[in-house]
Amino acid sequence: MDRRDFFKAVGRIAAGPPAALAAGTARAATGSAHHWAMVVDIRQCIGCQACTIACIMENRPPENEFRTIVSTYEVAEGGRVDSYMLPRLCNHCDDPPCVPVCPVGATFKAADGEVLIDADRCVGCGYCVQACPYDARFLNAETGTADKCTFCAHRLEAGLLPACVETCVGNARVFGDLADPHSEVSRMLAEHQGEVRVLKPEQNTHPNVFYIGLDPRFQGRVDGAPTLWRPTPERA
Amino acid sequence: MSSNITEIVNVTRDIAWEPWAVQYFFLIGLSYGAFALTLPGIVFGSRKWAKASRSALLGALICGFSAPVALLSDLHSPGRFINFYLYPQPGSWMSWGSFFLVAYTGLLALYAWAALAPDLRTAAAEGGPLALPRRLLGAGTRPGLVRALGLLALVAAALVALYTGMETMLVRARAVWNTPLLPFLFLATAFAGAIGLTLLLERFACGNDRATEVLLNRWLAGTLAVVGALGVAWWVRGLGGAQPEATVLAQTAGSALWHANVVWMLIALAAPFAVAAVKPGGTGWLSGALALHAAWALRWVVLIGGQDLPKTGAGMYHFVIAAGPEGWAGMIGTAGLWLLILIVLTTLLPWSGALGSGTAAVAGGSRS
Repeated sequence: MDRRDFFKAVGRIAAGPPAALAAGTARAATGSAHHWAMVVDIRQCIGCQACTIACIMENRPPENEFRTIVSTYEVAEGGRVDSYMLPRLCNHCDDPPCVPVCPVGATFKAADGEVLIDADRCVGCGYCVQACPYDARFLNAETGTADKCTFCAHRLEAGLLPACVETCVGNARVFGDLADPHSEVSRMLAEHQGEVRVLKPEQNTHPNVFYIGLDPRFQGRVDGAPTLWRPTPERA
Repeated sequence: MSSNITEIVNVTRDIAWEPWAVQYFFLIGLSYGAFALTLPGIVFGSRKWAKASRSALLGALICGFSAPVALLSDLHSPGRFINFYLYPQPGSWMSWGSFFLVAYTGLLALYAWAALAPDLRTAAAEGGPLALPRRLLGAGTRPGLVRALGLLALVAAALVALYTGMETMLVRARAVWNTPLLPFLFLATAFAGAIGLTLLLERFACGNDRATEVLLNRWLAGTLAVVGALGVAWWVRGLGGAQPEATVLAQTAGSALWHANVVWMLIALAAPFAVAAVKPGGTGWLSGALALHAAWALRWVVLIGGQDLPKTGAGMYHFVIAAGPEGWAGMIGTAGLWLLILIVLTTLLPWSGALGSGTAAVAGGSRS
């Protein structure tokens, strides 16, 4: 342990157990007791986009780029029209297809399960963007590097919840440690066994973002009409 | 398309591989394809191929030198390209490709030098303002060295062809790319484009030999027939329910843009085939230009069109090429660089084969 690591450890201890538990986003996958995951209870989501805004405020992606968003659909069935909300973010897969393709090792699976990007090493080739089946990645026009949700790793380091979880008014986003059988995420997954789904299971990426109440029609690419959004002016 | 789901809010993602990537795949394909065409005349001594191989060498060099520039330009942090070599990743085809590309362009340059050195020496003897660089680069005939470097460059070229096909084919998230036929389609169209380029160079820069034109046109027709067969195989797989072709057919069935893409590809392949097959003599400039267009069009449809299919969202993205460096200006810039290299190489050395002491000497064997 060098001096920097020593002071980090002292800081975590001083900050109390939450910070100590949240620590460990180092590149090496050793010494971690955590397996961070998110459970999204779609039944609780009202599509307010507070999570989208909180993420923007916290992480400041460039205009028109998003690390998370609540995809919103109108579903007409049996003479009635309903809304359907689907929060999307990086799935922090256990078998992330974005990691092995990276030609410089800038994208990696951190010890606690987050898929992170070393922005100092990334060359901005966009190969990871292509490989992600969830369209969760983008090339940050300001930094010239790949960008995506980090589960707010910097907040976890400080013992805080991801910004989107913190702000969710309906408690639709629940974050926690799958390695802890008593955590809320573990309890929810056990309680809703059989109804829990992930996006694009056929891709075998083993996501760490789980959904309760996910309609199978929205599990993959949505077969619908794209009426109300258009490319940005720069693209058009 | 289901009529009961309407997407109200979602995010659009800009394409990550811009037209620069199309230019790279196009140019490097032309380069390794043209390099392969140099082998019969320069390495294996076929008299029938001597002129075609010499013209092809010019094409391989121009495209081989300009392709890496297009690749660098597609990086969003091009100044960090050194990280490819500081942090190699054995599991990434792109990482391997960064080494294959350097090996290929380096060996191609050495091979070309070994083949052309006698002509440079002869040209230096004629004096003039270029006598000094010609004398410095000139050397005697070394058939053994040419063959050794040619075979080494062949290995590197094969690796480049392999990695460019594999790095796209393995992207499971892109249904258009994920077909096992893609590396073969890239390879076959690279050869078709390379033959087309050689026809154009033969016509306008290397002597316009009728027999060579007919030879190349016959090979072009045969290569385009292979491309057509691969296209049919893709459709058969898709209609038979094989993945990912069936998914692509389902996702693009209602898209006018993709209907236009199909028509475009059919015309792009059929036109040079018809010209090359029906009238192989006197039409090299036309069949050549059309074959180049076919190779470029396939890469555009696959690489840009493939990114226009959202992975999660409904409908299609509609990529519109920008006017700036990431779009038209970049593509014109690539063409300008290509032209500059052509001018430099054709100024340094006559490519008409009139000198004949270089490649002709190596190709002087009786095999044909």
